[in-house]
Amino acid sequence: MDKRRIFISPVTRIEGHANITIEMDDNGNVSDALFHVNEFRGFEKFCEGRMYTEMPTITPRICGICPTSHTLASVKACEMIQGIQPTYTANLLRRLMHIGQNLSSHALSFFHLSSPDFLLGYDSDPAKRNILGIAEKYPDIALKGIRLRKFGQELSERITGKKIHIMGIVPGGMAYPLTEDNRKALLAWIPEAIETVQAGIGIIKKFHEENAEMVASFATSPTLYLGTVGPDGEHELYDGKLRFMDADGTILQDQLLPQQYLEFIAERSVNWSYLKYPYYKPYGFDKGFYRVGPLARLNVASRMRTALAQREFELFKQMNNGKPVHGAFYFHYTRLIEALSDVEDAERILNDPQVTSTHIQHHGRWNYEEGIGSSEAPRGTLFHHYKTDETGKLKMVNLLIATGQNNPSMNRSVLEVAKQYVKGDDIKEGMLNRVESTIRCYDPCLSCSTHAIGQMPMVIEVKDKRGVVLKRLERG
Amino acid sequence: MNTIPIIIDEKKLEVDPGKTILEVCRENEIEILTMCHLKGVLDIGACRLCLVEIEGINKLLSACTTKVAANMIIRTNTDRIKKYQRITTELFFAERNHVCAVCVANGKCELQDLGYKVGLDHIRYPHLFPQCEVDTSHPWYVMDHNRCIMCTRCVRVCNEVEGAHNWDVMNRGHQVRVISDFNSPWGESVTCTSCGKCLHACPTGAIWPKAIVQGQLQKNPGMINELVEKRKMKL
Ligand code: SF4
Ligand code: SF4
Ligand code: FES
Repeated sequence: MDKRRIFISPVTRIEGHANITIEMDDNGNVSDALFHVNEFRGFEKFCEGRMYTEMPTITPRICGICPTSHTLASVKACEMIQGIQPTYTANLLRRLMHIGQNLSSHALSFFHLSSPDFLLGYDSDPAKRNILGIAEKYPDIALKGIRLRKFGQELSERITGKKIHIMGIVPGGMAYPLTEDNRKALLAWIPEAIETVQAGIGIIKKFHEENAEMVASFATSPTLYLGTVGPDGEHELYDGKLRFMDADGTILQDQLLPQQYLEFIAERSVNWSYLKYPYYKPYGFDKGFYRVGPLARLNVASRMRTALAQREFELFKQMNNGKPVHGAFYFHYTRLIEALSDVEDAERILNDPQVTSTHIQHHGRWNYEEGIGSSEAPRGTLFHHYKTDETGKLKMVNLLIATGQNNPSMNRSVLEVAKQYVKGDDIKEGMLNRVESTIRCYDPCLSCSTHAIGQMPMVIEVKDKRGVVLKRLERG
Repeated sequence: MNTIPIIIDEKKLEVDPGKTILEVCRENEIEILTMCHLKGVLDIGACRLCLVEIEGINKLLSACTTKVAANMIIRTNTDRIKKYQRITTELFFAERNHVCAVCVANGKCELQDLGYKVGLDHIRYPHLFPQCEVDTSHPWYVMDHNRCIMCTRCVRVCNEVEGAHNWDVMNRGHQVRVISDFNSPWGESVTCTSCGKCLHACPTGAIWPKAIVQGQLQKNPGMINELVEKRKMKL
């Protein structure tokens, strides 16, 4: 008999569009799993010929969830081209906006997209397994999640006047200062935000306890990790250097400059997906899988920068005796630890006497032909690399995005879960949801569309090698 | 001076002869949409946004280039005029490549404002998507032909006010382009004085300073007429 295929399309409740094909062998066992990304947006190509200074405005359009990270990587690349640094206050404001984005993204991922699985259960009615279902059964949690996201967005809005596709982060600093009124209004959010994140941590810990076996065995393949750290190896999102760690916790590279990324990361294209496949160069394509994002950042970090987050971090580190934690499920937990650190850090910055200073921009002009910048997006490290001619016109643009880097591992995690939960062409809805939720652990941003409620219909097809549909399942 | 009687939108007015319909309307706070008109330089009737109906004349005439005459009955806001304003605006957008979201002029653009004014929600004509160069050769300014609407305000201001005549126009139809000198890179111009008046005259994000990004653009087209008036003072 021919090979059979299960095709899940599109995956619901993630940002963007994706399909999963699960290939079955003759005995009805899963033999392979492919996670396709079919959307080609061509940013790198159509930016060629534009002024490099337009990139901080163009690139945030790549994603509606992590625009600030793109802007930051982009202005850093521009600042390298100009040979200048942002002002002290500009760095504070950028950090605040970055924290805001990270918080609202993590809140979206946890409360809106993932909490339905934890609170309502994987096998509950798919029509209600979403934020509306949560709002019905746990109105308090739904509201908290929505308000946390609002706080995150306000951190941008109160600095630049815009929530999503923010303007105002410019090469050399910021275009707008923070007013005293806005500073106070933002500070007022802190206690509530801390309480909400801690409630989230409570939910995930309870789920860990009640589903210990599943959590421990959920997509646990070891990989390498990449994340940004500060000078002492502390957790860092905005401005730091890079650390690579192997699966056992040995630091492979430390304090790498983002400008060195090409020495350590190589990319390969595959014929079935538009995402590129990056890998850790010294280990080659087959052994060089690495992951980025909250799990990776906490795995590589030596400590957190704030007190409450540090306490949680120590508990997290105990899970594997100080070694990296591999289970994809722990993405959720690490996302919340990061969110806690975000809120505490926001409080520290808002209390800095310099935060409302109006010395917010250094002015520069084109000086160098090449610029590379990086930042930590909610989903992981991203790099912007530009080359220009001597008038500032872009000749080459390379964008290495977070989801791209997690892609090889995402694929492997899907295969692992599919092998565990899908048998023969007997497909139960809950099983497929587990495959999907593996993908959701990584919270991939596949394009800039947001489907927070996730009412996208899902079509599952079991196909043989010739494409003949053996079985078809639809929901939506 | 003797005045003449005219009627604009049912309103009886006594106006100075020798003025254009546009001037009279502006003085009397009657709204006329314009794009190629820039106070301080000659009017050329290029954009066709300021069209008005005049009783007894079949075709629509441009208010910026038509002088008032005694007993003219003028209408500025009929359905026919609104229809043409909408068409003209759509064609502006369809002719070149306007991506407001990432444009340096976003929020500070006369073309974008015009779009809002005429209620532009979609464009019925196929976009031409021409391949346009971005001229980054000038040390301070960028000329992005993707966003040029061929109003020629830059050309006129450069010639009439600065006296440099760096800018001119080549080709016809939708191949038409603003050129620097005899179609060479702006940075190589032997006539440009880098005064920046064209930047202020330009209604869109076609000419902008290299030093700024979206949200920081400041254009002051009114400054052109102020300069012209000050020069007349012969201090
Ligand atoms: S020039 Fe104006 S209309 Fe054109 S893209 Fe820029 S903002 Fe939009
Ligand atoms: S560059 Fe600006 S001012 Fe000159 S013709 Fe084009 S739109 Fe008009
Ligand atoms: S303003 Fe009269 S034709 Fe352009």
